[in-house]
Formats: sequence, C-alpha cells, structure tokens
Amino acid sequence: MKCKICGRRTESELCKLHEEASKNLLKNYEAWKKSMNVSWEEYLKEIQKNPFAGVWAKEVAHHLLVSGFANEQEGLAKDTEMNK
Amino acid sequence: MEGRNVLILCEKPTAAERVAKALDEGGNPQKREIGRVPHYVAGRDGKRLVVVAALGHLYTVAPSVKDRNVFPVFDFQWVPRYEVERDARETQIWIEVISKLSQEAQEYILATDYDIEGATLGYTILKYACGGKEKEAKRMKFSTLTTGELEESYRQLSDHIEFPTVEAGTCRHFLDAMYGINLSRAMTVAAKQWSGRYAVLSTGRVQGPTLKFLVSRERRISSFVPTPYWGIEAKVEINGSLYEVEYERDVIESRDEAQVVVNECSRKKGRVTEIEVRKFLQNPPVPFDLGALQAEAYGLFKYMPRRTADIAERLYLEALISYPRTSSQKLPPTIGYRAILESLSHEPRYEKLSAELLRLRELIPKEGEKHDPAHPSIYPTGNLPERTLSEPERRLWDLVVRRFMAVFGEPALKQGVKASITVNGHHFFIRGRQTLKEGWIVFYRPFIRSEEVVLPPLEEGQEIEFKEVLREDKFTKPPPRYNPSSLLRKMENEGIGTKATRAGIIDTLYNRGYVSGERAVVSELGLDIIDILNKHCPEVVSVDFTRDLEESMERIQSGNEKMENVLSKAVNRLTPVLEELKKHEDTVGQDLSEAVRKARMQQRIVGDCPVCGTGKLMILFSRRTGKRFIGCTSFFKGICKASYPLPQKGSVKPAERICRTCGSSMIRFKMQSKRPWTFCINPSCPSKEGRR
Repeated sequence: MKCKICGRRTESELCKLHEEASKNLLKNYEAWKKSMNVSWEEYLKEIQKNPFAGVWAKEVAHHLLVSGFANEQEGLAKDTEMNK
Repeated sequence: MEGRNVLILCEKPTAAERVAKALDEGGNPQKREIGRVPHYVAGRDGKRLVVVAALGHLYTVAPSVKDRNVFPVFDFQWVPRYEVERDARETQIWIEVISKLSQEAQEYILATDYDIEGATLGYTILKYACGGKEKEAKRMKFSTLTTGELEESYRQLSDHIEFPTVEAGTCRHFLDAMYGINLSRAMTVAAKQWSGRYAVLSTGRVQGPTLKFLVSRERRISSFVPTPYWGIEAKVEINGSLYEVEYERDVIESRDEAQVVVNECSRKKGRVTEIEVRKFLQNPPVPFDLGALQAEAYGLFKYMPRRTADIAERLYLEALISYPRTSSQKLPPTIGYRAILESLSHEPRYEKLSAELLRLRELIPKEGEKHDPAHPSIYPTGNLPERTLSEPERRLWDLVVRRFMAVFGEPALKQGVKASITVNGHHFFIRGRQTLKEGWIVFYRPFIRSEEVVLPPLEEGQEIEFKEVLREDKFTKPPPRYNPSSLLRKMENEGIGTKATRAGIIDTLYNRGYVSGERAVVSELGLDIIDILNKHCPEVVSVDFTRDLEESMERIQSGNEKMENVLSKAVNRLTPVLEELKKHEDTVGQDLSEAVRKARMQQRIVGDCPVCGTGKLMILFSRRTGKRFIGCTSFFKGICKASYPLPQKGSVKPAERICRTCGSSMIRFKMQSKRPWTFCINPSCPSKEGRR
C-alpha cells in the first residue's frame, strides 16, 4: 500500500511521517477549540496557512480538506484508527 | 655538514620548512627538490638533518577484496593511497622520495602533529615507506611551530613514538573502514540489484548516528502543529521616555483572558511596588578548544566548522597560534604568558591591552574543565604575521588573541535591576542591565553580543503611566533546526566522532545530499536512509553503540585495552547486521531505489507551474527526440502544456530562486571549464531584452 499523501510504501493509509503529523493535528485540536472556538474545518484551514506548522502537518490538513473529512473530526480519527 | 644523516618527517610542507629553519644553526636550510617533492637540508650539532613532509596520510586502510559488490569483508590492511584512491596519485612520488631519503639516513625523527592522526600517519610512513623504522624513530613533541619551541622539542626528543596512540589511531581507521565499506556496499549493492542503476549511498560508524539526530529533529519540526496562546505587550512612560515592560505571565491560554488584561491596564496608572537591585560578577570566558572556537566563529562570522578548522590550521602553520585540534581548555604556565603578551604588544592594536595585563603582578588564566593530554588550549604564539592576512585569517587570529587576553582579565561587575509595577491587580516588570566594571570585557569587547539597558531612577511607590497595552496573538514554535555549529556541539556532547573528524562528517552529509542549507534541512533521501537502517539494522545508527566504540578507543590510547579485542567485538556486532541486510536485500533494495529515484526527481524540480497552478515545473526529456526541456509534471499526461527550452549541452540544475524581474523560476547552467550562469527560464523575461 502507498501513503495517500506522499506515495511512500506503507502498511496503512498514511506513512509513519504523515501519521505522526495527523496524530499531532488531532491532539492539538482541543487546545484550538478551547482558545479560539474554531470548527474542525476552520482549524485545518488555519493550520494550512500557519507559518509554524510543519510541512507534513500542512499536507495532512490539506488532504483532509480535499478528501471530504473537513467537516467531521471523526474523519481524522477514522484515518488514525485504520492505521493502528 | 658531515656526520650522521637524520631524517625528520613532518606532516605538511609548510611545517617542514618551519622545522628546518628552526633547527638549522644558521637559520638558512637548503631547499631541494626530487620530482616535485621539496625537502630541506639543515645542519645542527654536526649532524645533517633532512626535513621532509608528507601530504597528510600517504597510506590508507583498504579491504583485501577489491570487488565493490562483495560484502562482508573483514580483512583490511594499510596500502598506499595512490593504489586505491583516484585523486591521490600525487602521493606516489612522495612515498618514493621519502623512501629514497630514508635509505640515506641513520636516524629517524617523527615531527608530525602530536595527536592521534599525526602519530598514525607518521607510523605508517616509518613502517612502510622507510622500511620498518617505526621502532627506532624518536619523537619531537610541540604545540606551536615557533623557533623556540621547535628547538626545545629537538633537545628533549622522546626515545620512541607514542605506540598506544598509534594503536588507537589504527583501530579507528580499521573500524571506520569496516563499518563504512561494508554498510555502504550493502546499501549500494541492494539498490543496484533492485533497480539495475548505480547510486552512491553511504553510511558510517559516526555518519549514521549523526544523520539520525538530524532526522529526529526534522520529524519533530515537519509534523509540528502549533497551538495558539496570547501574550501582553506593554509600554510605560517614565520621565517622558517610553520603556517596554513584561507581563507577569508569558503564556495566557485564551484570547478573552488576554483581552481582560488589556482592558484593565490600558491607559491606567500603576505603582512601583518593589525594586530589586542585584550586583553580580561575570567571570571571564575559558580558553578556546577547537569546538568552542568553531562555535564562536560560527556565531560571530557565520564560518562553517570546517572552514574555521582550515583557517586555524593555516594560522598554526604560520606559527601564529598553537595547535588547533585540541580539546583542552587549559593554559599551562610553561607556554610563557608574559613573553606572549610582550610580543603581542608590538602590534599597535594590542599595545594598550597587553600593557594592561603586563602591569598585573601575577597572571592567572580562567581555565575550563576539559583537558587534553597532548596539547593545551588554542592560544596565540606571540608571533606577528609575516604577510598580510586575509580577512577571515585576520578575524580568527584576532579572536584567538583577544580570547587569550580575556581569560587573564578580572571578572566583570554587572548590575541587574528588576522593578515590579502593579496596576489593577496585574503585575508587570521592567528590567535593566548595566556593566559597572568591565574587567575582562575590555579585551573581548568587539565580540560581546549583549546589550545594555539603562533604566531611569525609580523608587517604590512611584506612579507609572501605562501608555500602550496590546494583546499579542502568538503560537507555540517548533524546535529550532540544527546548524553546522550546533550539530557539531551535539556530536561533541554525545561523545561521537573526534575533534578532527566531526566537521568532515557534517560535510559528507551535505555532499551526499542527505542534508542541505545553513539551517540543516534533511532531504527525503536522508529521511529514507535512516528509516531503512532503523528498520533493518538499528544498531548501526545507535549512538550508544558508536559511543561505546569511542570509549574503547580511548582505553586503547591509555593502554587499558587491546586493538584486537575492540576489532573482534566490532566484527561480532557487525556480522549479524550485514547478514540481516543480505537476507532482506530485496526489500532494502526496493526501499533504497525508491528513495534514490524520488531524490533524483526532486533534484529535477525547478518550481511551481505558473500555467496550471497545480503541477510542478521540472527538467524533462522529449520522448521523440530525447532532448531536454522544462515542462509541467502533467506535460506527458496532456493536461498542461507549459514548457520552456533548455540548452542541450552542459549541466543544468534548479537554482532554487525566482527571477526578480518576472517571478519565473531560475536555473543554474554550467559548461565544462566555464563559470556557472544562473538565468530565468522564461524566454520572454524583460531582463533578457538586452541579449536578444
């Protein structure tokens, strides 16, 4: 199987590098929601343009936005679950 | 000049000239040449001294099996470099000349650098080029190439060369070859078997763990997700001037909370509730070891560690500074502090500074913890330049001179002031920093980077007006990238590599394309190499394993371990690793080939496609004519037809910048023996109008 984002060979949907970034995205959403009161989609858009966000985190955010998981946080949770 | 012939072997031609001049009784040795190899004939105490230099190492460790597709190989031996290295042909004539001169000699003296490499290269030349003279050779030990120290060193010759050091050096060469050659061969062969294409892939005993540090940091940076927080930026007015003040909390978790602080403090009057004045002494810095000099030169002048080491080496060969490849932070009194300062006082810019130190009754340097049994820390010899130094040489020499002076200076007396201001229950601080007595700073002033902040007179209860209170929107930041200097420091702290090899290993990581840029960015290839090695042989990128070997080599040098034991331990640990790599050759080969293919593709990408906006512009080859051009990644799919012409001869690669005139990507073009030329890919760019 190939990583949906970068094409690296992997045993799950995302390679280890993008999986690490997606876990960080999921983990930090709570902090954003609490302090900025943003929706999951707004959060992903913010991450895409944030200068301090890592390139893989931006790629995962972009992937989620274009693959239809933008409106539900469960989308990422689902992706992460599948990788376990 | 009749009597016994003594062959003195130095490391570099400049050193040979200095040694010959210092030892010749008339100070004027005869320069002779055989082939293109210079040597000097000097006379001293009725003996004829023939001083000849090597060109660094003339011998290297090579495997007995020359076929690059065969591994594992554990049978290594010393061989002349010209036999195995294409760019070392020049060493053949040097070996022949040294061999010829040695036949005419009755005594042998080794005068190479007094360290592990100097001893090892001298040993191999004495053993192989001079026909087994390593046991009878005597040793000159010195830390500077000044006449006085060289004469003293000749008078106090050691009876033999330092064999434990040679054993440790030999062991290091054998281990590096064993790891580097076997692992690199295993990777290269696996990739070639899979893809049928040859690619230079390498790792090594120190290179692997060093790349692993970089990869680990890269992963943290690239997967970093920032979180928002808020801060308060405030300015107060005191006696008509504005001063910045710090809010009591660096991090405020919510925007609303930060806004409350702004609303409650803006345009309000606060009171000074407490003033803390703290006087403290700032000790002088310690003398430079090589790592500290490289770090300081990078911080001040942005010189890469390798460049600093090279400049320092030149200054040493000119007898301006002591031997730079040292890890010592000690300055023994035997170097003659006063004599050095007196000599330096002849240079106008150091005249007053030297005089200030010479007035002291006793000169006591501030020393660091680190000790090197072979050499003291880096210090100026007191000699003044005999030629005009280049700007980098002058800067580095000045840095060494001033640091040497600073270590004898008195501690600086500093004062820190911290006033607390309370407004509406919120606490702010204003801080000042001031130097009351400069002490050692006088000597090191051009290189001091801290700023003074002088506060106006304040007293408790004083009313202060808050002129400006703003909410700052902030984000947490990823860890900083390594730069060549911080990476060198990391290697030093982790105990891997040596002071002589670390800068070279960093260079190799850049040359292999694993890392790029001043702020070290790891390439996809670098990430993949570590991923593959971690998966199949984690031991070879383990810091603990490398450090363990380094410690074993230190024990050899101190006479507490035998080389054979260390080599045999290494073979036992490397054999299963190589077997594992061989067993999974297909998977490893596929992973590596993909990594190489991706890296090659990446190297061809010029920039974003301005036509479709989604593809990338890259160097492509026409399927019909084979000619190269720049086109969109969707060109062959027929989706985007963006294309730009390219010259068909010479090499082209992305310049990684955009044209200032039209904003198109630029490429770097180079014809053989011509200067490279960087130009915009857009044929209609207005910048090209003059050329049409």
